[in-house]
Amino acid sequence: MERKPLKCKACHREVGDRDFCLLHLKAYENIVKKYAFWRKALKISWKEYLSEIKQNTLTREWAKEVANYLVNNEE
Amino acid sequence: MVYSLLRKYTLIITEKPDAASRIASALDAEGKAEKTVENSVPYYMAKRSEDVIVVPALGHLYTVASAKKRKREYPVFDLQWVPRYLAERGAAQVRTWLKVISKLAENADRFIDACDYDVEGSIIGYSILKYACGGKENTAQRMKYSTLTKEELEKSFIAPLPHLDFALIEAGLTRHEVDWLYGINLSRALTMAAKNYSGKYATLSTGRVQGPTLKFLETRERSIKCFVPTPYWSIKAGVEIGGAVFEAEYERKAIESKAEADAIIDSCKGKDGKTEKIEIKEFRQMPPLPFDLGSLQSEAYSLFRYAPLRTSSIAQRLYLDALISYPRTSSQKLPSAIGYKAILKQLGRTSEYARLTAELLAKPALKPTEGKKEDPAHPAIYPTGKLPERVLDRAEKNIWDLVVRRFMAVFGEPTIQQRATVTISINGNHFQLNERRTLEEGWLRFYKPYVKSEDTVLPPMEEGQRVSVKRVILEDKFTKPPSRYNPSSLLRRMEKEEIGTKATRAGIIQTLHSRKYIREEKIVVTDLGFEVIDVLKKYCPTVVSIELTRKLEERMNEIQQGKETRENVLRGAIEILKPVTEKLKEKEQIIGARLSQAIQKAKLEERIIGACPICQNGKLVVLRSKKTGKRFVGCTNYFEGTCKAAFPLPQKGLVKPLGNVCKSCGWPTVRIWMKGKRTWNLCLNPKCPIKEKWSENH
Repeated sequence: MERKPLKCKACHREVGDRDFCLLHLKAYENIVKKYAFWRKALKISWKEYLSEIKQNTLTREWAKEVANYLVNNEE
Repeated sequence: MVYSLLRKYTLIITEKPDAASRIASALDAEGKAEKTVENSVPYYMAKRSEDVIVVPALGHLYTVASAKKRKREYPVFDLQWVPRYLAERGAAQVRTWLKVISKLAENADRFIDACDYDVEGSIIGYSILKYACGGKENTAQRMKYSTLTKEELEKSFIAPLPHLDFALIEAGLTRHEVDWLYGINLSRALTMAAKNYSGKYATLSTGRVQGPTLKFLETRERSIKCFVPTPYWSIKAGVEIGGAVFEAEYERKAIESKAEADAIIDSCKGKDGKTEKIEIKEFRQMPPLPFDLGSLQSEAYSLFRYAPLRTSSIAQRLYLDALISYPRTSSQKLPSAIGYKAILKQLGRTSEYARLTAELLAKPALKPTEGKKEDPAHPAIYPTGKLPERVLDRAEKNIWDLVVRRFMAVFGEPTIQQRATVTISINGNHFQLNERRTLEEGWLRFYKPYVKSEDTVLPPMEEGQRVSVKRVILEDKFTKPPSRYNPSSLLRRMEKEEIGTKATRAGIIQTLHSRKYIREEKIVVTDLGFEVIDVLKKYCPTVVSIELTRKLEERMNEIQQGKETRENVLRGAIEILKPVTEKLKEKEQIIGARLSQAIQKAKLEERIIGACPICQNGKLVVLRSKKTGKRFVGCTNYFEGTCKAAFPLPQKGLVKPLGNVCKSCGWPTVRIWMKGKRTWNLCLNPKCPIKEKWSENH
């Protein structure tokens, strides 16, 4: 049986076997990279960080969509 | 009837009708050339010791087209130059135009090309002389001028160049042919892929310069859309000096840790400060460079918000009125031959410039500040000294005044400024106060109001002086996303990357807008733009490579210098395009699917009025009732039955989303255009407080 192609977790683009499409993958990488700065700045946890950037008006579209997904779906 | 006399005459060809009228008047002994209009084509008879007829073109009358008629097929590598009416819809007028020129050519015994002295002008003149005048391109002479003033036109007519600039023409023809090969093949590949997949036709285009330009817009858009801000803090101290409070900044503009910032604040609390060091430096600010087209466009955008294309068309009008020199130049040089003194004297006839020009004319010598860039055909843009003979509209007046003041400023002396940095220590923490004082205004006064110099002056201070600290403030800040390109910064980037020419760059930006790849003044790349660039990057990265485009540009410039041949460059372009078109054809199905989806999405986005205020997850669009056919604004979830949001609309007129929300209630708004009526903005909220207030009052 043919396997259904997976969809990006933040949008509906087909992604093969990755979690995010190429656009959102870059945003995800950026989120991960920037956590080091936030941790140094505010000594906050990953979860707190995600919720902060989700609400921040300067976080841009794709990063916000990924943060939104992570806040709702990460353990 | 076309002018026919037994006497022979000189036939001058110009690029546009306005230039023909001006050249003819300048050459007529009495300054009044006789105008004839033949089948809507104007031409002018100038009487002097010899008869002269000046006939204009309408820009390009010939263009590159496929040698075979195979619409929508690709690859296409066989090309030829044809009259524009054979290749373009809506160019029927060109047929009559060429007939009139050919008829006038029959009785002419001398031919002069007086089109603008640049690549485009040279091609226009060359192709008319070759194809419409019966092969006169080798015997024709060339008028070379940079302003349309009587004196310069007379001079260039009496002593024309003996022949056309064939190296420039060869380079120009190659540029057109290479651009045509890129444009036709890549655009057809994209358009046909989408058409064959969806059955619907939508024009998609890309080109040799368009692709790389869209690529760097897309790169910037990606970094904006993925942006995550990081927090930082800045600290300011209010220090009292001489009875006034000044804000001193902590020596590090950004502190990356809140704990560290708090510690600095705590350590400053209740402490006084002491000036530790006062550093004074003098700076010389050199006058600005004369305008080339790019810097004029950039300055006009930053001062007046005129898009580059608008600035170049205003400048072109001023040039045709002989008020400024030829604007499509890349030169930053002002040779003395233009006659600095005479220009300044003439400008001084207006009260506005009288005082400033007198000041410059009193200098022992006039030496302009110049840049490195040169243009073999024209100097930098300068005012001719002629004053307007008609009332200029506001935009024309602005650009003319800007050119005049910049011209004066380049002859000014450097501005001398003094900058003082006072370091204040508050319990070992260093803060800085800055002072800026203009010692000698120099060129600044010639360039006002287009330059502002605001001095910040501190009271006299000395090292070791105690200062009272009134407050220490901690400011929470976040890093900001990269700024978007605007038409001016994008133009500068294209210039820096050396892609496109001064004549084509602004038009390319316009094309990206009209193809809906980008939108808004602060440029946003649309989903369609992303999809097009993704397809090109994935299947034919060579055509969006800035490096490759620049190399091709260099080779075309080498043709002009005689180091490269047209055949070689064309062969090289075809060698690049052949595998690219093969790949695009092979992947047509996948590309078509991606592009069709993006087109569909773009069309839907165009219709979107705003977010649905009822269900919060749908979008409001204009819909039609399945029963009555009447239009209304409804939610995209309306026909699925999950949202009942529906708002009435007038049944006549054009409805356009405004892209913003009502200031009173925050609901989406639309603009209604109705024939014969004033347009109005409509808030979709039936209970909008503004509407209720209006009903109460009426």
